[in-house]
Amino acid sequence: MTESNRVQHSDAVTTAWQFTEQVPHGRDLGMQVVSVNGNQVCMRLTPQPWMFAEDNTEEICTSVLYSLADSASGLAVFAEARELSPIATLDLRMDYLRSASGDRALLAVATCRHLTDEVAFIHCNILSEGNRELLATANATFMRNTQGQQFHAGGRGKESA
Amino acid sequence: MSTTGDSAQQISGAAESGKECADWQALLERTPYARHLGLEVQRDDAGLVVHMPCREALIGNFMLPALHGGVLGALIELTGRVAAQSQDTETRCPRILDSHINYLRSAQARSTFASAEIVRQGRRTSLVQVTCWQGEKSKPIASGQVQLLLPTMAAKQADLHEQ
Repeated sequence: MTESNRVQHSDAVTTAWQFTEQVPHGRDLGMQVVSVNGNQVCMRLTPQPWMFAEDNTEEICTSVLYSLADSASGLAVFAEARELSPIATLDLRMDYLRSASGDRALLAVATCRHLTDEVAFIHCNILSEGNRELLATANATFMRNTQGQQFHAGGRGKESA
Repeated sequence: MSTTGDSAQQISGAAESGKECADWQALLERTPYARHLGLEVQRDDAGLVVHMPCREALIGNFMLPALHGGVLGALIELTGRVAAQSQDTETRCPRILDSHINYLRSAQARSTFASAEIVRQGRRTSLVQVTCWQGEKSKPIASGQVQLLLPTMAAKQADLHEQ
C-alpha cells in the first residue's frame, strides 16, 4: 500500500503499522503489512528455503505460519482499538489444515472479533497468494493495557543506531 | 554392587544419553528453519532440553525488549516434533496438526530452553506437552500442546498415487 493510502488511517494505526514492520523477527522473516481496513489486517511473507520443514521438501515449516499469524493478530488489536496501549498474547491456537508450499507467498488475514478494555479476541486465516484454500487458521487472545513502554511514531528510538 | 560396576554403568549410561542427545540434534537439523533459529539439544538432570540462544532476529518488541511470540511458538512446535519423532521406531517425520500455546510470563531477550513430555504416543498420532523457561525452570514463560500425525504406510501410498 502506498503512503497516500496510509494517510487515511488514524495516527495510532499508522504507528502500529510502522512498528510491526520494524520488529526484528518480522524483518528477519520478511513480513510486510499489506493493508489495514477497519478491524482487519492483511500481512504477507515471501518464503525462503531456510523456512522449510525439511531439506528435501519445499514445504514451509508450520512455525513460520505461526509467527505470521501472531504478528497479524497483534496488529489487528491495534487496528480495532485505534490506540497504542501495550498488549500481550495470552494464548494462540493454530490449526494446520494443509501443508504450505514454498513456491507462493503467504498471506495472513487477521480480524478482531471482540475488544474490551482488558482483552481482545482475534481470528486469523493463512492462505497462499492466489489461492482461496485455507492453509491454517488461528485464534488468539490478547491482554490489553499490559505493563510496558508505549511505543511512539518513528519507532526504534535508541535501538535504531 | 562394586564401585567398579557402578562406574561402568555410569559410563555406559552417559554414552547412551550422549547418543540420545546427538539423535535429537540430528532430527532437528533436518529442518532448515530449526537450523536458522540455532536450536541446540542439551541434557539437564531431568532429560533432554532444546536451547534457543538469543539473537536480535528473534526479538518481537524492541522497546522492552522481548522475544517474538512466534519464536516461542517455533521452539515449542519443533521441540514437540522432535520428541514425537524420536519415540517413533521408524523416526518418520510427523505432520503438525495443531498447536495451542499459553504465554505465562514475559519472554526476555535471553537464552530460552524447552523440554517435552509425551502425553500420548499412539499408532497414528502423538500429543506432546512442551514447557519453556529462561532463568528458573520452575517459572515457565510459555507452555504448549502440539498434536502430531505420524505418517502411515497407507497415507504414503495415497501420496504416491496423487503424484
